[in-house]
Amino acid sequence: MSAPTRHVFRSRPSAARRWETGALWVFRSSTYLVLLCGALVFGHIVFKGSHTVFTKQAPFINVPFLTEAPESLYVFEYKGEKKELGDRAFRAFKIEHPEAKDVKAESYVYSAGGIFPCIVGTVLLVVGSMIIALTLGVSAAVYLNEYAVQGRVVTAIRLAILNLAGVPSVVFGLFGLGLFVIYLDWNVSLLAGWFTLAFMVLPVVITASEESLKAVPKGFREGSLALGATKWQTIRKNVLPYALPGILTSSILGIARVAGETAPIMFTAAYVVRDKLPWQGLTSVSDFFFQGVMALPYHIYVVSSKIPQNEYTERVQYGTAFVFLMIVALIATTSIVLRNNLRNRYKW
Amino acid sequence: MDSPHSVPASDFLVNNKRIRVLGLSFDDAVKIFFGGNAVVSVVVLALITYFLFQEGFGFFGQNHRNLLTYRQAGLEYVDFIRTQESGHTALTRYLSDLRLRQYNRLTIDQKQSSAAANQSLASFDAFAAQYGDAVEPIRGLVSDLTEQATAIKTKFLIAEDKKVERQQLLAAGKSAEAAAVKIETVDFATELKVLTGTLPVYKETSAEFAKRLDVALTNAPAMPAPELAARLDRFRQLTREYVATFPATTGSLETWDYARPVPWYQSFTAFLFGREWLTASFWQDWYGIVPLLIGSLMVSLVALVIAVPLGVGSAIYINQIASMREQRFIKPSIEFISAFPSVVLGFFGIAVLGQFLRWLSQQPSLAWVPGFPFSERLNILTAGCLLALIAIPTIFTLAEDALQNVPKAFKEASFALGASRLQTIIKIVVPASLSGIISAVLLGLGRVIGETMVVLLCAGNRIAIPDFTAGLAVVTQPVHTMTGIIAQEMGEVVRGSIHYRALFVVGIVLFFLSLAINFIAQKIVRRYRISIG
Repeated sequence: MSAPTRHVFRSRPSAARRWETGALWVFRSSTYLVLLCGALVFGHIVFKGSHTVFTKQAPFINVPFLTEAPESLYVFEYKGEKKELGDRAFRAFKIEHPEAKDVKAESYVYSAGGIFPCIVGTVLLVVGSMIIALTLGVSAAVYLNEYAVQGRVVTAIRLAILNLAGVPSVVFGLFGLGLFVIYLDWNVSLLAGWFTLAFMVLPVVITASEESLKAVPKGFREGSLALGATKWQTIRKNVLPYALPGILTSSILGIARVAGETAPIMFTAAYVVRDKLPWQGLTSVSDFFFQGVMALPYHIYVVSSKIPQNEYTERVQYGTAFVFLMIVALIATTSIVLRNNLRNRYKW
Repeated sequence: MDSPHSVPASDFLVNNKRIRVLGLSFDDAVKIFFGGNAVVSVVVLALITYFLFQEGFGFFGQNHRNLLTYRQAGLEYVDFIRTQESGHTALTRYLSDLRLRQYNRLTIDQKQSSAAANQSLASFDAFAAQYGDAVEPIRGLVSDLTEQATAIKTKFLIAEDKKVERQQLLAAGKSAEAAAVKIETVDFATELKVLTGTLPVYKETSAEFAKRLDVALTNAPAMPAPELAARLDRFRQLTREYVATFPATTGSLETWDYARPVPWYQSFTAFLFGREWLTASFWQDWYGIVPLLIGSLMVSLVALVIAVPLGVGSAIYINQIASMREQRFIKPSIEFISAFPSVVLGFFGIAVLGQFLRWLSQQPSLAWVPGFPFSERLNILTAGCLLALIAIPTIFTLAEDALQNVPKAFKEASFALGASRLQTIIKIVVPASLSGIISAVLLGLGRVIGETMVVLLCAGNRIAIPDFTAGLAVVTQPVHTMTGIIAQEMGEVVRGSIHYRALFVVGIVLFFLSLAINFIAQKIVRRYRISIG
């Protein structure tokens, strides 16, 4: 039999070519390895957490888990039956069955009930801090980019802000502790948490907003000014509308960062446990701002480091992680999708 | 007067009627609003930095007093003898390691029962017991002196507290009550006589201790295996070296003087080069950052070793090799990974990864890997793997940007000269964007060093310098980190105490470290950027 015919332009297999194919595969597999690791972590949390958050019966969502406060879980054997009851249910059970008064129960803190106060706390923290950060950040960016005389001072400020963006979040937590909690004597409170988180993302917001303002061509401003518009009219009608989408996407990324951070709120705003919801038991309006709250990330830290790992505690651990991951992932996805759309829309 | 030609108020978009409030037009007000916000932002950011330093710098004064008390109350004196005692403890540990080796040899290699093995080790045990007991007199002396020194220290601290109390009463204008506060002045010279008076006793005890060790050594049984015999010889050698340090200890005890001043810089050096971070101890607190710094660096190093090849590799793949479809799918996915909250990753490490790595390390087929098997599920490796996942998106995004900025002409010229795709990537594209890639790696390092929750949950939190003699296996040891210690201990310390301030100083170190990393990264990009054109 004759050798199979080769096409004249087909290159010969050679050592160099094999090398190249091999190297390309190394690059390719490293990329997919990264994706695989990310998918594994995400998938594991989602898979295990969905057992807690979703149910097989009618509403399909575990409503108590999302609407109740954390409780201790009691595990005990009663008349040959293994029972798991939350704190309140366990007390009711004891009253109902007086003979079960001395039953020996193992207790696990935070493992029953739900995580409603944590969700509320996180939402409050994120909303408040983002309002502060956006007001200050966008205004500062507008001032620095549109009004300020570009000179050494502004360049220095810009450089300082850029560098502050890389400072670890736990250091911002210390900042907040020193200034808001201790010096201004706000104690561990919602207000201190808002400001700490806001100033943590402020460098990011300022830098990103300036970037989008800079991307608006100079001609837009000059044209408007030439028609006799004032500075503010120019900014409002001809600069901000084009910069706004960019500012918004970057700020959504900021929201994801604020929601995901634990270290800065550990000593400025978060309580391990608090019975009351933020709007309960207030005597005056200011009480609302000067109260600590429970927060999802801190709750995850507490349940994963302070209580043992077993089948009873797993439920709340994975459930909380799942809910938190979903919230943060949703915010992040929104910003990524928005940005990709924007890239295609504005081009000049 | 009514004019027939009255012009209706014009409705121009650009309306220049200037309403002035307080002499400011609307435009000025807007400018002031923006400017005010900018000033507030900048001022608060500056203020927060200021407070970090304000809280932190008090530490050095307090630490100086802390070190001064250590000397004046005679704790330093006692620690000379204590060091001698702990040297002996280290030697007995060597001895028990020797016994374990011999025992393993007997039970595993020679298949003896454990009873028989213990039987044949009886003479060795007798020797070990004799060697171990030799330290008893010294140990007794140390524990006596410890009590006395602690008493002096407590007395001094109480006196200091009283002084503060009197000051506060005076400041509040209650002079009568202030006068009533009784302050016992501590006369260190006389108090310390009790300690320094034991020097002759110490010399006697020490001499006897040396003699007892010597006697014990002569009773050492012969080791059957040559390897173990060599170890026993080494042990003899170590003991002789140890005994040879006794005169030096006696010398430091003789020349020790409580009144010798503690130089001011020592509170800095004790912090920067201190090898111990020991808090809330009954004896003496030490604030040395070295174990924490090394912990942070080790964890980051492991993370970078994993993240740099993967991050840069995938950046090259996406930018140079992948098809458009792959790009559109992979880039957002990797950005999505960067949104994983670190506390969730930390939880994943505790719940899954730690267990998995330990299980993996205990597989017999992997026993050749250095450090395998290990039993601590939370260690440098676990934390490093998770931190790598945090660093990869940062490195990937920035490195990809850098690759994107390489002018297309470079690549085209390379192809035109007949270079293959791989040659072009390795010899042209990567070198051209190297400054950007390096700064991407540096920023990844900054991200990793500042990460808190993952290391707090997964690094094992043991405050000790890892044992570098173990070689590569060092990555399977638990450590504590700078970020971790702040997060862990800040909630429990008393405000204004030395411990509290020490944590702020750790924060300052982190602050400067991240600034330096950022600064260098920017510098590299500016300095070595290839001019595009």
